[in-house]
Amino acid sequence: MGGHDAGTQYQFTGMAKYFNAYTITGRRNCVLATYASLLGIALFFKLKPKKQAAVTAK
Amino acid sequence: MTVSLFDQFMSPTYLGIPLLALALTLPWIFFPSPTSRWLNNRLLTLQAWFINRFTQQILTPLSLGGHKWALILTSLMVFLITLNILGLLPYTFTPTTQLSLNLALAFPLWLATVLIGLRNQPTAALGHLLPEGTPTPLIPVLVIIETISLLIRPLALGVRLTANLTAGHLLMQLTSTAAFVLLSMMPAVAILTTILLFLLTLLEVAVAMIQAYVFVLLLSLYLQENV
Repeated sequence: MGGHDAGTQYQFTGMAKYFNAYTITGRRNCVLATYASLLGIALFFKLKPKKQAAVTAK
Repeated sequence: MTVSLFDQFMSPTYLGIPLLALALTLPWIFFPSPTSRWLNNRLLTLQAWFINRFTQQILTPLSLGGHKWALILTSLMVFLITLNILGLLPYTFTPTTQLSLNLALAFPLWLATVLIGLRNQPTAALGHLLPEGTPTPLIPVLVIIETISLLIRPLALGVRLTANLTAGHLLMQLTSTAAFVLLSMMPAVAILTTILLFLLTLLEVAVAMIQAYVFVLLLSLYLQENV
């Protein structure tokens, strides 16, 4: 089954060479990319400037 | 009378002194230490046979790097099986019904397997979080799912042991209370309840041993992935 030697017969080109679901390094890169994206989304919403509600004088 | 049903799970104290340390360490006196004799007595031979056989079983699927875990896995098995079996005696406190103990065992050991994996083979350890051959659109979803399932492992280990033992003990107490109360009112039903209690006790003996084994087996499985 998928041991440490699995996925050695694939020869990808372009983006798939680094991000694929077959080679161990491809899978690792996909995992890291997912974590980085999630971190990016979290940081984006955390650092987004909050809209101040306009204070209406009565 | 819900209060009295859970009294059996209270940590034992005597005149204000907590006895949990004694409950955890006293079972050790049941295991004689090996002698320098060539042929030992029956108990020692049985003990040595069990330890050797179990260690051989648990270490067979592990690679060489995992063999240094032999001592901790076997001693954990002996510890858990002793605590579980002794807890089946009436009025005996079972430490493994306490979630704090089981999580304290599960969490550090699981964390150790994860850190060993990340330290020695980070690519493989991270790559395992994505199953091979996943269709591209499903990749982020599956990474998140696999991460959650990884993080939930220590919780599952601890809660599994706690829940199994607590539920078993509670059921035995309920059934025995029912049998006792019914004895004066409906003896025939009380006999049936007693038969049920007997079968339940047999089940609990099996569960006590199996749950200890499952705990250690799953830990060795997590180790296999990472070592």
